[in-house]
Amino acid sequence: MTLFLRRTLPLLLTFLFGVAFAVQYYIPHPVSEGALTEISIWLRIILGFAMILGIASLCQVHYAKIRTRVAGWGYSLVVYFSMLITVAVGLWARGQETGTGLGWIYTYTLLALQGTMFSILGFFVASAAFRAFRARSKEATVLLVAAILMMFGRVPLGEYLVPAAGPLAGWLLNVLNLAARRGIIIGISLGGIATSIKIIFGIERSYLGGRE
Amino acid sequence: MPGDSGGSVGLSWRAAPFDGPPLRYQVFFGEQERGPYTQLAEFPANSHYKSDADRPWWSWDRTKNVHFYQVKSTRTLNLVNGRPYFFKVALTDGTQSLEGPGRSAVPEPNLFNWNKANNFLLMIVFSTLVLISISQAKRRPNIFLRRIPGLDAVEEAIGRATEMGRPILYLTGSDDMSSLSTIAATVILGQVAKRTAALDTQLKVPHRDPIVMAVCQEIVKESYLEAGRPDAYREDSNFFITSDQFSYAAAVDGIMLRERPAANFFMGFYYAEALLLTETGAGTGAIQIAGTDADLQLPFFITTCDYTLIGEELYAASAYLSREPVLVGTLRGQDQGKAFLLISMVIGTILATIGALTGTQTFVPVLQLFRDFK
Amino acid sequence: MRELAGKLLRLDRRAIFVLIALATLIPLLYPVGLPIRVSPEVRRVFDHIESLPAGSVFLLSLDFDPASKPELYPMAVALLNHAFRRDLRVVTMTLWVSGTGMAEKVVSGVASEYGKRRGLDYAFLGYSPGGANVIINMGQDLNAAFPADHYGERTADLPVLRGIRSLRQVNYVVSLAAGTPGVESWYVYGKEKYGFELGGGVTAVIAPGLYPFLDTGQINGLIGGLRGAAEYETLIGMKGKGMAGMDAQSATHFIIIGLILLCNLFYVVAPGTVVRSFDGPQDGPGPSTGLRTGSPQEGQR
Repeated sequence: MTLFLRRTLPLLLTFLFGVAFAVQYYIPHPVSEGALTEISIWLRIILGFAMILGIASLCQVHYAKIRTRVAGWGYSLVVYFSMLITVAVGLWARGQETGTGLGWIYTYTLLALQGTMFSILGFFVASAAFRAFRARSKEATVLLVAAILMMFGRVPLGEYLVPAAGPLAGWLLNVLNLAARRGIIIGISLGGIATSIKIIFGIERSYLGGRE
Repeated sequence: MPGDSGGSVGLSWRAAPFDGPPLRYQVFFGEQERGPYTQLAEFPANSHYKSDADRPWWSWDRTKNVHFYQVKSTRTLNLVNGRPYFFKVALTDGTQSLEGPGRSAVPEPNLFNWNKANNFLLMIVFSTLVLISISQAKRRPNIFLRRIPGLDAVEEAIGRATEMGRPILYLTGSDDMSSLSTIAATVILGQVAKRTAALDTQLKVPHRDPIVMAVCQEIVKESYLEAGRPDAYREDSNFFITSDQFSYAAAVDGIMLRERPAANFFMGFYYAEALLLTETGAGTGAIQIAGTDADLQLPFFITTCDYTLIGEELYAASAYLSREPVLVGTLRGQDQGKAFLLISMVIGTILATIGALTGTQTFVPVLQLFRDFK
Repeated sequence: MRELAGKLLRLDRRAIFVLIALATLIPLLYPVGLPIRVSPEVRRVFDHIESLPAGSVFLLSLDFDPASKPELYPMAVALLNHAFRRDLRVVTMTLWVSGTGMAEKVVSGVASEYGKRRGLDYAFLGYSPGGANVIINMGQDLNAAFPADHYGERTADLPVLRGIRSLRQVNYVVSLAAGTPGVESWYVYGKEKYGFELGGGVTAVIAPGLYPFLDTGQINGLIGGLRGAAEYETLIGMKGKGMAGMDAQSATHFIIIGLILLCNLFYVVAPGTVVRSFDGPQDGPGPSTGLRTGSPQEGQR
């Protein structure tokens, strides 16, 4: 019974839904469309419930840290504290953000913190470029020259200094980048189809947890 | 209307020899044959041809002999399936108009969208190719696999972490379980977990998606069981952080700086957080192995990681690490598919060029086979 | 000379951070206002909105979170300005939960500038969970995907949504996206099936990846990064945050180009220099991995 629930049933469901929704794409009939609508609603509900799993894991990990007093356990307290405060304020504000405490938390903490994390990217790009962007080989030199041309041509100052830089950067994007990306997309798509087939037919089943 | 789910009607009529810009066609609609008719559309007489509309690849026709207009349900017009409606077409020059007879049509839903037949055909061909390759691989398991240095380095990285007594950090990417790169990442995780179990090295897998976390918990547990070390398995090796992109990046960076893992694995799909993660990892001096089909992030991975599996190498990893004939066979099927597309592209380009130079329509149906129909 | 080059290569990366910070700040405080060339992909989005008759349905999906605000917020402002000027029926939403508050702010803000009334001239549907599935759901039945708008009003009763039962009745969709679900999701699950015209606005990191879809007509236009926002502002004759940021972007790009050139020069002068890791105890695997020069990565390039 356990084997049936852990192995056979999931594989059977994967096969049935995999084939059904691959074929659904070609069937415009309202019955097939209705099935798609129904499934899209199911998926949304399942995804909503999955969040509970995540929150439970988060609470568990940080509880263990506080209990065993590992280095930096105080931060785990901060996690609990911030989560509870946000939830409480959110419930109090009934989920509305305009002019409420939730809006305040959103604007003055979440927005600011996320903005900061994203802007660090700019600094990291510069330091990574300084350290690692080197003409070590012929290929690396091509990458380097292309990067410099793009950075030069995509800003007004570059175009102001060399008017041809803008169209040149555009050409790099529209022709070379496009051709290379198409190649990659084709490869990835074929790999994707092959993996889908393996999963639908139960050939690849390690995602169910190990092998039989 | 062929290939739709009902609720629309396709009208077609033969083009008149005197069709031209000053003349316009008007399309009328009525619920009864005797009327009243209301005007639905008006357009120049040299537009709306059947050749502009989507149709099955074999019935391609570029001649402008037949006009075509699709009447769809709109805000004001609701076409109910199975009910007859009446349509009229008139030709006008602004002062006089020439009206055709009223014709009835019944909107019906279709069981197959023949416009997508080419897509269906290619799907069947490619699926068959993969399945044939798998069955061949089962019979003859010795298929050559190119060396993937990044995967050879996995063993080295885990060994180094064991020597140093430091944990291994493994990320499965930013996508959910429906993404193929995430699936590939979880498969590789299983192999990595087996090695960490055997060498008794701590494995840490922070997650962005709760479902991926649940799947990975199962995989890691099974791997420890298979390695004969169920006692070494730790329930908290897989843990959820947050689904928010940059909060997750900040938390993982924190783990890297505090716990200084000896090896970082970045498998799966990544977005802008890629460089934030890998640059921090590079700064801590860890061995970094990345595997991603996020082509836009590849330059960042290549500059900051020791090894990078590019695109399909990530999908090939499970075959490479396990050497299972079935999985290796799939790779061969994939390569055959790629060869087929490459040859089609070359032939297609040649045929299209000949077509453009000579004006012949002979090759059009073949070229249409590869068109993306909506 | 060799020693100096080696030293500079081992320069504390915080020095580089300061340089970048200055290159961003100074032009923001003292803008020069260099002219901006409009690229054809941005113009196509503009032209399509121009071609829509008043009363057409324009759906703007703000699929980003506060982290991408600097790039995508100016685009949202510019597009909303354009749509309201053209008297389109504007329907807005987000597929990213953490972007809800920000999206609401920009939509209601720009709408009030034009005296547009909520529910009558525009709607903000808010967020609905499910990522790309929401698009399928909207394509099948809009009222099922969003039974109520962000403010709790029944969508079926909103005058601005009258006659819009699904995505099939929408004339133009633009997704401003910082990742997935985003432009590609709207194409794969939406346009491909429900047949509306689709445009995209994305962060500069994502933009190059969408060019193949632009070329095939899967998206009709593309606004990429802050630069794209600035181009759109130029087209509608607005001086917004996109244009203000362009000088800063020019300066940082030039600093990075300078750094790359310098770094290559130093490596020529002092080959084999080992670059130091972060400050802190050297307890990593050491210089034999990670940041050493000539790492195994070389073979893969």
